[in-house]
Amino acid sequence: MTDNDFVLVGIKPIKLPETINPPWWRGRPLFSAAILALIILGCIFANSIMTKDPTFMDLLNYSKAPNSEFLFGTDTLGRDIFSMIWYGGRISLFIGVVATLISTTIAVIFGSISGLAPDWLDTLMMRLTEIFLSVPTLLVVVILQAILGKANTVSISIVIGVTSWMSIAKVIRTEVRQIRNSEYVIASGCMGGGFFHILRKHLAPNFVSSIMFMVVMNIRTAIVSESTLSFMGIGLPLEIISWGSMLSLSEKALLSGSWHVILVPGVFLTVTLMCITNIGNYLRSEVNRKESNM
Amino acid sequence: METKTLVEINNLTHLFRLTKSVAIKALSDVSFSINQGEILGIVGESGSGKSTLARCLMNIHKPYKGEIFYKGINICDKKQFAANKKMLQKNRQIIFQDSNSSLNQRMSIREILAEPLEIQKLFKTAAEREEHMRYHMSFVGLEPRFLDLYPPEISGGQRQRVSIARALEMRPELLVADEPVASLDVSIQAQIINLFKHLQEEHHFTLLFIAHDLAMVEFLCDRVGVMYHGHLVELAETKELFNNPVHAYTKALLSAIPVPDPRIERGRKILEFEGVDMTVRHDFNDIGNGHFVLQDEGVTV
Ligand SMILES: Nc1ncnc2c1ncn2[C@@H]1O[C@H](COP(=O)(O)OP(=O)(O)OP(=O)(O)O)[C@@H](O)[C@H]1O
Ligand SMILES: [Mg+2]
Repeated sequence: MTDNDFVLVGIKPIKLPETINPPWWRGRPLFSAAILALIILGCIFANSIMTKDPTFMDLLNYSKAPNSEFLFGTDTLGRDIFSMIWYGGRISLFIGVVATLISTTIAVIFGSISGLAPDWLDTLMMRLTEIFLSVPTLLVVVILQAILGKANTVSISIVIGVTSWMSIAKVIRTEVRQIRNSEYVIASGCMGGGFFHILRKHLAPNFVSSIMFMVVMNIRTAIVSESTLSFMGIGLPLEIISWGSMLSLSEKALLSGSWHVILVPGVFLTVTLMCITNIGNYLRSEVNRKESNM
Repeated sequence: METKTLVEINNLTHLFRLTKSVAIKALSDVSFSINQGEILGIVGESGSGKSTLARCLMNIHKPYKGEIFYKGINICDKKQFAANKKMLQKNRQIIFQDSNSSLNQRMSIREILAEPLEIQKLFKTAAEREEHMRYHMSFVGLEPRFLDLYPPEISGGQRQRVSIARALEMRPELLVADEPVASLDVSIQAQIINLFKHLQEEHHFTLLFIAHDLAMVEFLCDRVGVMYHGHLVELAETKELFNNPVHAYTKALLSAIPVPDPRIERGRKILEFEGVDMTVRHDFNDIGNGHFVLQDEGVTV
């Protein structure tokens, strides 16, 4: 026998005539994706959409109802709501994405370490997570805000990020524990694959689908958190425009009867959240379908 | 030809803790050595600790007691292992018993075969690597089209051959093969066995071959070790072991091999092995010509 004389065995593949696939868009949340895309694009290109300077306080035209000059009216400080929506949406979406990036990164690293760790360390890390989970998020956020000083966009993203990684970390830890004794993980270690190699090649592909939904929902939660905090007056100050800080004017607005001040940012916020939820739900059903095929 | 020792195993003992107070002794006081360039077979009934031995050799399990020396490096010692990690990970390869779970279902065969090459950075360009992978695919009788498939899409025997290719493409010095051909049909088995023999003769690699099939072991291996309940009960050159078994368990095991001659086969008796009391102290004695047997203390031949 030489190096090259192995005989091929087995069934050879045959070519089948092409079949017609169902259209690609069937069953996908296209409508939500389109609206979300419009909102995101509007926020990104806010500078070319805005008709006024969103920070300029026009004291002659405060609490104006929507008209041809101020498309969505003005708020109690005389700022143009149409311009503020796009300008402030940037901040809201930025906080949603950055906070989620922070929380997901912490969750992936913390969850994988806990999943691969020996039992005692794993138990310790999970107890720690549960303690974090049981402390009301709001309380932690308020304390962190107090420590970090006056809130700005970055600090509030960090605060929301470091308080919302726990449930994702728990899911990752459970998934990692299930596959860490698989022979392919052991084999990869034998070949010399390090922690990050195994995480990227073997662990992440297995848990990415199960956390996808949670990650998308995390964006939603982060946007809501920012709005809630700003609404309560412990988030972004009035001069940093976001959907949340716009809503914080609602109390004054309702007293003076200017409904649009609360309605416009409220509708934008709700529509955005609904679109994200729809996409998240689609991802979840997609994962379940794939899983049942395997 | 002068023989050099590649692996030396001294008093290897491994426990699996089940609960705080209960443990399984999967390996008890196993000592032997593997010479450079030889094919050493390990046989024994299911659950006798063969896979555990293989895993200890690959640093997957940390042994409870005992030492393993690979080219003089004590691989059970944390420091010595860390200092020689790269060399060890490249030069020792293992083929797992169950190819179903040793291949990641979410990776294509191409990604699976590229993984060790990438980790060890054996090739500079993707083209060279691809060439190397294709060559080793044909080595185990798989067409290049398999590279784009995923493990669930190919047959069990084809999967097993992928994991053989993954081990061989690293050109290991020591290959630990845990029942590598058990799931293959006879013709492929023969081809893989011939491949191992060819690699040993032409490329001088060392193989620890774990198997159930005694006829295959007799054909392939230079020496054979017999395991029973976590003990290595007998170790000798293949001819010597098959012609002159000493331990009662080995005798029983060999009596179960069918003989091609029907006249002898009809009169063949399968010996029953009633078991030995492993709790008394035993010694692994050399009874001449490198034939080792596990014996009760005090018994002399
Ligand atoms: N991870 C583990 N945890 C607990 N016990 C184990 C573990 N792995 C193996 N064992 C036990 O150790 C003993 C030896 O197992 P091992 O897998 O080495 O047997 P084997 O000789 O390879 O058997 P087979 O021929 O069936 O593969 C068995 O009794 C088994 O139950
Ligand atoms: Mg086994």
